[in-house]
Amino acid sequence: MRPLQGVRILDLTWLLAGAGGPRLLAALGAEVIRLEWRDRLDFLRYSPPVIPVEGATESRREMKSVNRGGLFNDNNPGKRSFSLNMAHPKGKEIFKRLVTLSDVVVESFRADAMTKWGLGYEVLRSLKPDIIYVQQSGWGHKGPYWKYASYGPIAQGISGLTDQSGLPEPYPPAGWGYSYMDWSGAYYTAISMLLALYYKKRTGKGQYIDGSQIEPAIFMTGTAILDYLVNGRHWQRTGNRAPYKPAAPHGAYRCEGADRWIAIAVSSDAEWRALVAEMGTPAWARDPKFATLATRIINQDELDARISEWTRSQEPFALQDRLQKAGIAAGVCQTSQDRVERDPQLKHLKWLIPLPNAEVGTWPIKDVPFHFTRATVDQGGPIGRASPCYGEDNDYVYGELLKMSKEQRAQLEQEGVI
Amino acid sequence: MANGFLFDVRVIELGDEKGDFCGKLFAGAGADVIKVEPPGGSPSRQIGPFYKDTPDPERSLYFWHYNLAKRGITLDYASPQGLELLRKLIGNATVLLDTTPLDTLENLGLDWTALQKINPGLVYVRITPFGRSGPWRDFKATDLVHLALGGEMMLCGYDPRPDGVYDTPPIAPQMWHAWHITGNQAFIAAIAALFARADTGVGDMIDIPVHQAVSVCTEVDIPYWIYAKTACLRQTGRHGFPVIGPPSQHKAKNGRYCNVVANPFPGGRETMIQFLRELGLQGDLDDDKYKDPANLVGFEFVQHFAQVQAQAVAAFDAEDLWRKAQDRGIPWVPVRHPEENLDDEQWKTRGTFGDVHHPELGETLRYAIAPTRAEECPWRMGPRAPLIGEHNEAVFCGELGLSRDELRRLKEARVI
Repeated sequence: MRPLQGVRILDLTWLLAGAGGPRLLAALGAEVIRLEWRDRLDFLRYSPPVIPVEGATESRREMKSVNRGGLFNDNNPGKRSFSLNMAHPKGKEIFKRLVTLSDVVVESFRADAMTKWGLGYEVLRSLKPDIIYVQQSGWGHKGPYWKYASYGPIAQGISGLTDQSGLPEPYPPAGWGYSYMDWSGAYYTAISMLLALYYKKRTGKGQYIDGSQIEPAIFMTGTAILDYLVNGRHWQRTGNRAPYKPAAPHGAYRCEGADRWIAIAVSSDAEWRALVAEMGTPAWARDPKFATLATRIINQDELDARISEWTRSQEPFALQDRLQKAGIAAGVCQTSQDRVERDPQLKHLKWLIPLPNAEVGTWPIKDVPFHFTRATVDQGGPIGRASPCYGEDNDYVYGELLKMSKEQRAQLEQEGVI
Repeated sequence: MANGFLFDVRVIELGDEKGDFCGKLFAGAGADVIKVEPPGGSPSRQIGPFYKDTPDPERSLYFWHYNLAKRGITLDYASPQGLELLRKLIGNATVLLDTTPLDTLENLGLDWTALQKINPGLVYVRITPFGRSGPWRDFKATDLVHLALGGEMMLCGYDPRPDGVYDTPPIAPQMWHAWHITGNQAFIAAIAALFARADTGVGDMIDIPVHQAVSVCTEVDIPYWIYAKTACLRQTGRHGFPVIGPPSQHKAKNGRYCNVVANPFPGGRETMIQFLRELGLQGDLDDDKYKDPANLVGFEFVQHFAQVQAQAVAAFDAEDLWRKAQDRGIPWVPVRHPEENLDDEQWKTRGTFGDVHHPELGETLRYAIAPTRAEECPWRMGPRAPLIGEHNEAVFCGELGLSRDELRRLKEARVI
């Protein structure tokens, strides 16, 4: 049995910051029905990387299908998809019927989209008094910036996360090399839905949650904010060093090969002695200036240069295993290839799960990283599928859920509603 | 009446900084979180920065932020008397959040079978660095090492030299994101288990390996490898992609930076050119050659367009231009220091920050308290993180029924 069995989510999210939330709830057992419309598709449905299918060699521009976007397939597994034209008055009526059959309505449009459709929280609540409505917009619905646009790098830039990443001045911020706040935004879309579902289970009450992509990022900068308030310190980057939990060496060191690096973190003098022994006890390492954590921190520039001289001729994974065996925290800066093809621990944890899609076949999808002992939880969700093809579940939604006849559906298709 | 989403949930938190953030989410969402620290205080009280830069277990700003609204007790549960008290605490709890070293509770006779006997409804959230089995089970890791192994670092950093060689290392974004990423996902799993438990009365044990949680938190790199066998290259202040793209982080007049959209979606570019025109900073984009749509696509144009944007950013201070751009639907932002959000009207209106009183200091400090806005169930604004053993009497005497004398004897025996 899955923990969220019996929960139905009406999913109007897209991209990742929105769509990743219902993705996680699908893994946990919710039935997620994703509303889509052909004129305004999630553009990840047709963005690269394109999923190769047998016999097809066409490039991105020639790609006709909306079911072959690799990012889409990774963002929406375990969900169903149905098509519905919300711009059509009959589309809105159908949507309202679906609201009455759902526990949660979740969307990640700009903050005014639903009210423009005449479907704000008050309307949803009048249809179903205990409905949970989670709105995950860029900046949040309440507040002067409600209209502003956001996506991962924007959320990271304004919140301080970008500034907190990188080498010290005069280097610019390095920021995040991906939309960290898309995933984190998705986590809070999921958290909002789950907290509200729990609360409803205990009290019978639904609610509206006005979420944003940026506030969870601010939430994660709280220590730096306190540092400013009590110590007057503006944030300053320190690269890979660890000013707040002293350790030295502490950084990424170049290894043999093109752009290969190993992260090493030495937090105690015992670990340092183990590292010195692994290096073959070179003369420089016996210098008193490296003898204690405090002096190693003072002499960190020289220390890092010395360590790099040693690591640069080493094969990174062999070095990692050797240092780990000696009790030193060390790990290769792994690439996507390393994680997919080499990492024996991820393999052991079965972090990728093969899931089928009706058009592109079965591909490995990132599974959720939580392993339940009793409940069944995996990213295929109750339907055991990768991401849905566009409108794949119209039969389910219009036939099974809404009990429409073939004739009714044919009529609606003709009118451009579904 | 009910206050907070998790008003009827009690959490026992054991372990180190790996669980601080997850526990903070529970406390913020209304649960009663009892943090169990060793006598003398948790090791995460040693993490800086510190109040007035004076290292002290009662002055860690890290500890304050990550333990807001929790209660704190001290207990040496490896001692026989301590273990008995821990069993009672677990018996009264809804959730056990455990980030202790591998086998800690098992070695005390508290494996999952035993825990279920004590409390059949227990939701046991077990966070370990690499999982409880597997070839890397006993590997040692820190925040840095997790972000290396998980793939984050290889995506974060600076452009390579023109010859493609990287002369700067991969970067681990600060601070403590391995624990954020893990805590968020552990919290998600835990609430789902609580939801199921509300009907069945039966709990569950959930394993969350930090390594796996961090490894699934990258974005395009894994799909690019799976579907195209293509690696993503790290690039200054923007997405790692298979090719080095146009810059999207530019220096403003005052030396600070802005993040802009380098390659706007169709329709967005015209809006942006119009905006640049209003500023008189459209560069040569009104030249005849750009009337031909064929000259508005391709690598060369995109690079050039980025340079025009860079000149526009350079003409203003970082905070001066971005609202005007956003008013036109153009997603530009200044790269702020974290503290620069404190006075922003958006967050004031929304209650993103909240004032927390520290009676010992006679001071009220502003904390980042609300990751979402929920009027029915507001995120808790305090009280401030517990002092060492602050709730010993309330918990051990008030709830477990020890007498004050027993409490004093346990204290003398260094059990609490």
